[in-house]
Amino acid sequence: MSIEICGVGKRFGSFVALDTIDLHIPTGELVALLGPSGCGKTTLLRIIAGMETADAGHVKFAGEEATHLHARERKVGFVFQHYALFRHLSVFENVAFGLRVKPKRERPAEGEIRRRVIDLLKLVQLDWLAERYPSQLSGGQRQRIALARALAVEPKVLLLDEPFGALDTKVRKELRRWLRRLHDEMHISSVFVTHDQEEALEVADRVVVMNHGRVEQIGTPDEVYSNPASPFVYQFLGNVNVFHNRVHGKWADVGRDVAGDDPDKTAAGEAMAFVRPHDIDIEHKPLPGGLEALVQDVHAIGPLVRVELAHASELIEVELTRERATVLNLARGQTVWLKPRQIKVFKVLEMALEECGSGI
Amino acid sequence: MSTSSRLANSEPRWLRRVLIGTGLGFLFLFLALPLLAVFAEAFNGGWSAYIEALKHPEALSAIGLTLFIAVFVLPFNILAGIAAAWTIAKFDFRGKSLLITLIDLPFAVSPVVVGLVFLLIFGAQGAFGPWFAAHDIKVVFALPGMIIVTLFITFSFVARELIPLMQAQGRDEEEAAISLGASGWKMFFRVTLPNIKWGLLYGVILANARAMGEFGAVSVVSGHIRGETNTLPLHVEILYNEYNAVGAFAAASVLALLALVTLVAKTIVEWQMRKETEMLDAALPPEAVRNQE
Repeated sequence: MSIEICGVGKRFGSFVALDTIDLHIPTGELVALLGPSGCGKTTLLRIIAGMETADAGHVKFAGEEATHLHARERKVGFVFQHYALFRHLSVFENVAFGLRVKPKRERPAEGEIRRRVIDLLKLVQLDWLAERYPSQLSGGQRQRIALARALAVEPKVLLLDEPFGALDTKVRKELRRWLRRLHDEMHISSVFVTHDQEEALEVADRVVVMNHGRVEQIGTPDEVYSNPASPFVYQFLGNVNVFHNRVHGKWADVGRDVAGDDPDKTAAGEAMAFVRPHDIDIEHKPLPGGLEALVQDVHAIGPLVRVELAHASELIEVELTRERATVLNLARGQTVWLKPRQIKVFKVLEMALEECGSGI
Repeated sequence: MSTSSRLANSEPRWLRRVLIGTGLGFLFLFLALPLLAVFAEAFNGGWSAYIEALKHPEALSAIGLTLFIAVFVLPFNILAGIAAAWTIAKFDFRGKSLLITLIDLPFAVSPVVVGLVFLLIFGAQGAFGPWFAAHDIKVVFALPGMIIVTLFITFSFVARELIPLMQAQGRDEEEAAISLGASGWKMFFRVTLPNIKWGLLYGVILANARAMGEFGAVSVVSGHIRGETNTLPLHVEILYNEYNAVGAFAAASVLALLALVTLVAKTIVEWQMRKETEMLDAALPPEAVRNQE
């Protein structure tokens, strides 16, 4: 079932949680709402679920108006960050809850309930825990039970609020992959909220980057990472070096050449250039359009070597492969030349207005 | 948790003994001794005099009335307490802090004042007095007035017990129930009530103890009509003023017994509550995701 969000806005007192959000989520997609805390992503999710009412705008499910439907009539599965399992019910009864509270004429028979609950528990690979209570489960197990419980009512849409936020890294990674597989098997639309960019980029079909109640960019993980639409997206998705043309005059030029932007874009005023640490090359000899810098520090971190360089009293971070670092054989105090492979220039005016439209 | 191994916290043995001794001595002097005295005085005239005093029609009527009022206000307390706690814990609205303050009012106001207030409202000279008199309904100096003041006095207990509990539990479980399609009632009976049952029971026990023991407010509106509007505490006072020590203390011993029962019930409930919270807080076992393929 597709979800259509048109012009949804929400305020809490004077705080603007959501500022006219437009979003289309096609059937069968796994979409991540990604943003820093307080950006409105959870509020948007709760509006889709019907747990919060929007001040303005519409929510449509499969093209049908759902704005005024009560949460219990929306047929969405909701998974809470802190699981929200019913603590006084066993795992089995937790999963069976959605079936048991159905009105009498829709309620399946006891045998049918049992069969479906066991099937779901098998799906989340926890059928051996049916008789336990939520307090006797680990965090990862609780989250999977919460998922099974949400799936029991056969929702058309699955909404997950920071589903792995409270888990430790290793468990989070496993559950993440598992959620992806589950989503592909179930053929439903899923939306999950996260502040973890790695999670969003790894799991989702599409990523919706949000900031200050607005959508900054919508795109595939690859699009938002390699072609960010705004300075915010650039900085939120991974490490980045920022250059002002006031300080690094040459680099703004470099940016213009490399990015092939129309000249007046940077010429009009102050500009900022964004370069990822792994998109910078280091050479020992002067490069045309290159930037001279002093090596400050060299750290080997796992498969990468991180080099810290100083230029005009500002710090620049560069990530090299180990092979490249061996070839260069950098040492502290050396003077080197930098050249970006990929650079993106934003006008300062743009940053101030944060006018970085949505749309793919 | 043992603190004995912590050197920084350990006091010299003599100091510990003095502190513990002071505490126990105080408890004995001001709690245990009076309780013993009540029973000693009650049985002063022997077992038969004790039974005789309790079998007196006025005593029996007082016991009956006390229990009746306590049982009568119970459902109101439960309903109003849950409603107030629910409103405060699960919703945000204007005037919330005022409501919280109002809930504490019965604790802050002297019971005698409460009695006088209701006397002013429902008495012959009061705002609604004439209307009730015209319809031949007796409120003050009769059972309805006593029930009303008891309700006022005991209202806060359930709400105060439930508010922190419901706030701590948050709205997640209720929201989960709703998103799974549960109706409001099903959500309440299947999710909310099981989660607050021990807190509710605890509040009810405290409210009940207060309802049975209330003296000041009930005294003002009862009119002290023997065999009709006398509750146990009022009965004790009347007998004592008549120098009927055995009768007074026999009635007092019944009150004391009720208090002891309350205490035991309260302890059991507290123990249950702690057991459940401990279960919830229990350290999670290390995560063991089984091989998934």
